[in-house]
Amino acid sequence: MTPGTLISILLLLIPGMAAAFYLRNIRMATVVAASIDVVLSVMLFWIMPPQGFFFVDRTTDVFIIMITSIYLLSSIYSLIYISDQNATGLKQPTYYLLMNLFAVSMLFSAQVNNYGLMWVGIEATTISSALLIMTEKSEESLEATWRYIIIVSAGVTFAFISIILIYYSFGTLEVSTILGLGTSNTLFVRVAVSIALIGFGTKIGVFPVHTWLPDAHSEAPSPVSAMFSGVLLPTALYVLYRIFQIDPLTSLFVWFGAVSIAAASLFLGYQARYKRMFAYSTMENMNLALIGIATMNPIGIAGALYLLISHSFSKAGAFYSSGSVLRSTGKKDVAGVKGMAKKMPVTSAALLMSSLGVSGTPPFGTFFGEILILYSMVLVNAIPQFIVVVISLVFAFVGINLNVSRMIFGSPGDDGEPGRLMPAVALVASIVPLAIGVFFMVVNNAVL
Amino acid sequence: MNDNAIVYLISASILVSAFYIQGQRYIMSMIRGQLVQSILIAIASFLLAYMESSIDLLILGLLILILRGILITYMLETRMPRRKSYVFEEGVNVPYLFLVDLVFIVIAVFIIYSIIFSSLVPISQTGDSSTLLFPLLLFFQGLFLITSRRSTYTQIVGYVEEENGLVLLALFLLPVPIIIEASVFLDVLALVVISSVITVEKATHERMEELRG
Repeated sequence: MTPGTLISILLLLIPGMAAAFYLRNIRMATVVAASIDVVLSVMLFWIMPPQGFFFVDRTTDVFIIMITSIYLLSSIYSLIYISDQNATGLKQPTYYLLMNLFAVSMLFSAQVNNYGLMWVGIEATTISSALLIMTEKSEESLEATWRYIIIVSAGVTFAFISIILIYYSFGTLEVSTILGLGTSNTLFVRVAVSIALIGFGTKIGVFPVHTWLPDAHSEAPSPVSAMFSGVLLPTALYVLYRIFQIDPLTSLFVWFGAVSIAAASLFLGYQARYKRMFAYSTMENMNLALIGIATMNPIGIAGALYLLISHSFSKAGAFYSSGSVLRSTGKKDVAGVKGMAKKMPVTSAALLMSSLGVSGTPPFGTFFGEILILYSMVLVNAIPQFIVVVISLVFAFVGINLNVSRMIFGSPGDDGEPGRLMPAVALVASIVPLAIGVFFMVVNNAVL
Repeated sequence: MNDNAIVYLISASILVSAFYIQGQRYIMSMIRGQLVQSILIAIASFLLAYMESSIDLLILGLLILILRGILITYMLETRMPRRKSYVFEEGVNVPYLFLVDLVFIVIAVFIIYSIIFSSLVPISQTGDSSTLLFPLLLFFQGLFLITSRRSTYTQIVGYVEEENGLVLLALFLLPVPIIIEASVFLDVLALVVISSVITVEKATHERMEELRG
């Protein structure tokens, strides 16, 4: 067994081992497991496993680092956020057990070298994460959980037709073997890729099969929303990317992405609840990354990776600060929260930075990701889609930042910070995309 | 009667079970309909295992019978409270739904089949591509059942039916490796277990003001 293979196996085993502490101290075991996974995922960047059961390249490792980092931040944030008082739908140990299984299922989907098992992994993410939504067991969270289960399962089941057609066309489901053959352009492969767009698109948030997304994100506890938005959707996008590579249907994917971004920015504009607003922002960012990947040129793919990794931290920061606001004020509406800046300075800073991050403000990493993707759209001559996307991005930028400004500024409110740990985690998450942006500027100084 | 004729006969029976489920308002009848459907698919798998002398298809048939036929049915039946709202789905206009089903779903499937799937050549020995019509019809029947009903139980049955359609499609076109098929079965089983947690808390699904937009 090579060191790379061992790391890939450990990435899956360690969260599973944390789950073994179910009866005693699973909270701290989860934090320790997540920390070890972060170290392992960074090591994987230099020590790749050979192709066999796993298929890990540099692109895969970006996704793995994202998954482990947000898993760690969410497990730390949960230490305070999830208490016996508010975890009425799930017991605390069950919450952490499911969170560990959720991380394992995402890491499995990203690493495995088989389209069929990727599908199994994505379905397993639904199983492990569904009950996490109803941790606080309100009427709305139960409905959101059900919508998540039934809509996503029905959609992902549809994607299995694409797996069957891939197997029919190639006689194997091994990712490395199929991609090694180069692009294939037969009717059945085209149908398979198109069906995958709709099937896995349900999980990614492609319009019009996105309808579970705002409900689940808004009703799940904030650390779970952060994992959904920051890493679950990108993992599904990664699987779609691997299928897309078989026969890149650029035009179809770019059009779907552009229409989805337009729909997301339209819905985002009239949201009264801040977590729903951030959910639509996720839909917008995921579809922008989809377009970047769909252009199939190195600039677009690099842009998508920059966008995804920056977005995962920014959006985690947005949901963590939303969680802090919700804990302090008890209000879910934008209109219900005013003048946070005075009494909640750390949360306000985190919320402001993360909202600037998710809306693609310079010099955050998301900005450079967006610029690269827009440039790649011009390169593939997708001009009408480019116009739609640019207009939508402007609308989304104004919509998010206007609402967040209303919450932060104005006459001071009465509610203070909900302790130290939660705002600190939110602040750390919201600073990382800024660091990514600075890193981009330093690395690409010559280009700029 | 030759083997292929038996495959067609079983396929037609599976489709009849789908229409039977669509026509029910009693939840228990739907669950039993799902049981019959799963058993019929298991029989189809056993038949193909015999025709192709395949151990994998024999194992697949057993998996369908045990996991989908027996376990899922047992779980749905035992966890169902005996309250009226669980036993009987109110406000369902069955003739209207049948009409919509025939006009939109069945015709749409025929169109999809003739454009795409008719040119597929099944690798398993079930006959020509016309057998693929049955799984496609079953799959979209399941989807229609999910979208047309509000009861949690009915939607679970719809989901299982959709999955049955895929099993049948793989069976008739080209069975996927048994390890993947087994994983899929376990996934579906786990999903039904998770769903049954929700059914205890929430029997029906209506629009909610907080989740609009």
